Amino acid sequence: MRINTKLTTYEICALTIIFIGIKLTDTTPTLLSNSTQNAFWYIPLISFIVMFPFFLITLYLLNKYKADHLVDLLQILLGKTLGKALAFFIFIFSFFLSAFDFRSYVNQIKLLYFDKSSITIIFALLIFISIFGAIRGIKVIGYTARVFFPLFQFSLVLLIILVYPSLVFERIYPIFGSGLSNVMYEGIFKGSFFSSFILLMMILPVARKPENFYKGTIMGLIISVLQIVFLFLIYATFFDYKSIERVPYPFHDVALYIDLGSFFTNIETFFMTFWLFAVFIRFILLLYLNTWLFGATFDIDNFELLILPMGFLIMVIGLIPDNIIVNEFVYRNHLLNLNTIFLFIVPVILLICHFFKRKKV
Amino acid sequence: MLRKKQTKNNHNQISSNLVENIDKIKNDFSYQINNDFSFRMLTAKFNQKDICLCYYASLVNSDKIEQSIIKPLLEQDGESIANIVTVESVKVLTDCDEINQNVTSGKVILFMEDHSQAYSIDVSQFEHREVSQSENESVVRGPKEAFTESIHVNISLIRKRIRNQHLVSEVLHVGKRSKQDVQLLYIENIANDQLLENIRSRINAITADSVQNVELLEQYIEERPLSIFPTILYTERPDNACTYINRGHVVLLMESSAACLIVPINFWAFFHNIEDRYSRVMFSNFARAIRFLALFLTTMVSALYVALANFHTEMIPLDLLLAIASARDRVPFPLLLEVLLMEVAFELIREAGIRIPNPLGPTIGIVGALILGQAAVEANIISPIIVIISALSGLTSFVISDPSFNFTVRITRFIFIFAASLFGIYSLIICFVMWLMYAISLKSFGVPYFAPLAPSYQSNKNIYFRKPLRNEKWRPKYLLPKDMKMLKK
Repeated sequence: MRINTKLTTYEICALTIIFIGIKLTDTTPTLLSNSTQNAFWYIPLISFIVMFPFFLITLYLLNKYKADHLVDLLQILLGKTLGKALAFFIFIFSFFLSAFDFRSYVNQIKLLYFDKSSITIIFALLIFISIFGAIRGIKVIGYTARVFFPLFQFSLVLLIILVYPSLVFERIYPIFGSGLSNVMYEGIFKGSFFSSFILLMMILPVARKPENFYKGTIMGLIISVLQIVFLFLIYATFFDYKSIERVPYPFHDVALYIDLGSFFTNIETFFMTFWLFAVFIRFILLLYLNTWLFGATFDIDNFELLILPMGFLIMVIGLIPDNIIVNEFVYRNHLLNLNTIFLFIVPVILLICHFFKRKKV
Repeated sequence: MLRKKQTKNNHNQISSNLVENIDKIKNDFSYQINNDFSFRMLTAKFNQKDICLCYYASLVNSDKIEQSIIKPLLEQDGESIANIVTVESVKVLTDCDEINQNVTSGKVILFMEDHSQAYSIDVSQFEHREVSQSENESVVRGPKEAFTESIHVNISLIRKRIRNQHLVSEVLHVGKRSKQDVQLLYIENIANDQLLENIRSRINAITADSVQNVELLEQYIEERPLSIFPTILYTERPDNACTYINRGHVVLLMESSAACLIVPINFWAFFHNIEDRYSRVMFSNFARAIRFLALFLTTMVSALYVALANFHTEMIPLDLLLAIASARDRVPFPLLLEVLLMEVAFELIREAGIRIPNPLGPTIGIVGALILGQAAVEANIISPIIVIISALSGLTSFVISDPSFNFTVRITRFIFIFAASLFGIYSLIICFVMWLMYAISLKSFGVPYFAPLAPSYQSNKNIYFRKPLRNEKWRPKYLLPKDMKMLKK
């Protein structure tokens, strides 16, 4: 029976929101507040406004050339060799960024819940579930995201409702934090928060109709940015600018602080379950998209067989940094900065090639 | 070569010589040893020819043979057998294989002198149970009939509920040595043709000697025999079967099976109950919410207890934590062992309870409760909290009414307990994600297991809760029915 099992707008939107929106739970606020003090909450908005035209350019070009996915578009516009070379560069960047991303979340889990366990084991478990989920295929990942998505939003809403009485809204002043120039610099150069979006463009062939993909990703992007900004606002008004620099994981800290009445005083494990679920979906998708990018670059049809070696490589690379400080402030920081420049250049190159092609025709 | 072919053909064909036919059929059915196999020789009045009746005495209605076959043949005049024999079903046979099949199905074979054809007259009377109440799927509100072991009674139970001339009952044969009939029931202007083709090809691909009943058939035609999730629904209620036929599913029935199989099926079918449709909307949605809670409790409560008490003790409120700690103070076993002990004990009692002869039932129940509950706690083998948790997870599993899915849930519970003992909530959620992704990736006869939730199709959205019956407009699109609308305006 030929039933259409491809993904709809809702599933792609849920995937995007979980993929990008999970950023509100890691060390991003700490990283940002280092230079911008208490203005860090609207920096994702600035980054988004700066990056959004570039994403739209890429989506427009995808639509215009009716490309299969991102790598296909690169090959159409830049020719086979140059397109493959550029795709390979994108792959290398996103691969290393993913490995350090994995490490960042493993650090989180270890610090919060399993202080005395070996980091290798926790990393191995995370890689194990990523490999298992990625082998199921992109459609199953989309369906799982759809099943889980309402629960994730429910947990966020519950968190916001429970923390609301403790917020002090005067803490958002001064609005520009440590200075407008600092804020703009951070906003522009941290655009690579949304760098994973470029990986999402590989999903195009699995959508039922291309319109589903465009609508789903753009809606998902906007909703996740709004969620991130809102949650960052809550962190800014909950922790003051001095404390936020010392709190590595604001999401979990907020969960540690709130209580449900006077009987349930420690409910952070409740939020941990939903957070873990979202993290797993994100990493399953990350591993799958990286492998897909690799497979598309080198014209490998059965790239799903590469998921196991890729996962293992990611684990090995992720174990290179020695501790959290090195991981966050050295590796990830530099990579994120470099990646932003990359993300600016690639759509511009594509647009220039598009104009050249139009002139030729 | 030609001679061999001829003997083969002749071997299968009925000869005109009556004695040859009788000898052949005596040989085939081992007449010397077979006490059951009976003959009746007589001379017909209408053409003065010798006639021989062959049948299994245990499978036929002897009154009918006497009144409707032998009496008219001896007394009436007419042109042909069909005009004299008064039984309602008379067929002409030309093949010896067909003769064997018909005799084993309870029909009488009539051989006539100088006739190279045989007649098969249906006088079968298989003994079966009368229509009684459903034992395993009982409802408070709704019809209480259940299928019995006779296929004619079962089909009549279905046909009286679906009075539609397009309801078709198609017959397929399974089994090489003992041919049994499998009846497919579906509405032919709704059910999808490719689905039917798929079912037919799977049934025809069975190479077993004999497939006795529907429970065995399920294991032959399912896709993944080793999976813990069932992909075919097994029900003993005709009203349940009719609901699914109306939506475009296909029902499989066999003789001597007091239940039917429904294909293709998804996860929600195991979770929903037929009683949901018989109660009003708010009542049935309330019952569904309770069933959800029960599903969550039965799979997760023991695993959560292991995870929280071992790894995340800060989550448990302080007073409760002190109570648990003081209760566990004198218990020598680690928590995981306690939980496993209680769970296994509960499963043992459950299995034993099914097999206990009726007079002993209540006694064993009391003894089991006393031993496990009171005595074990007082002997400090287990703590009282474990008894509560284990009883909760065991009793809530009874809310899942489908017998196959009940096993799924019980196996899942043990898997989750083991997972939670490794790394607490971390490994429990890993195991849960694995379980969920595995379930989502399953397909039953081409239909995804979690449809219409994921992937989403046009349907009545009867997933978590149901809509009022007046608002149910569509058939489920994942079955690709020929007619999507349920209402005719």
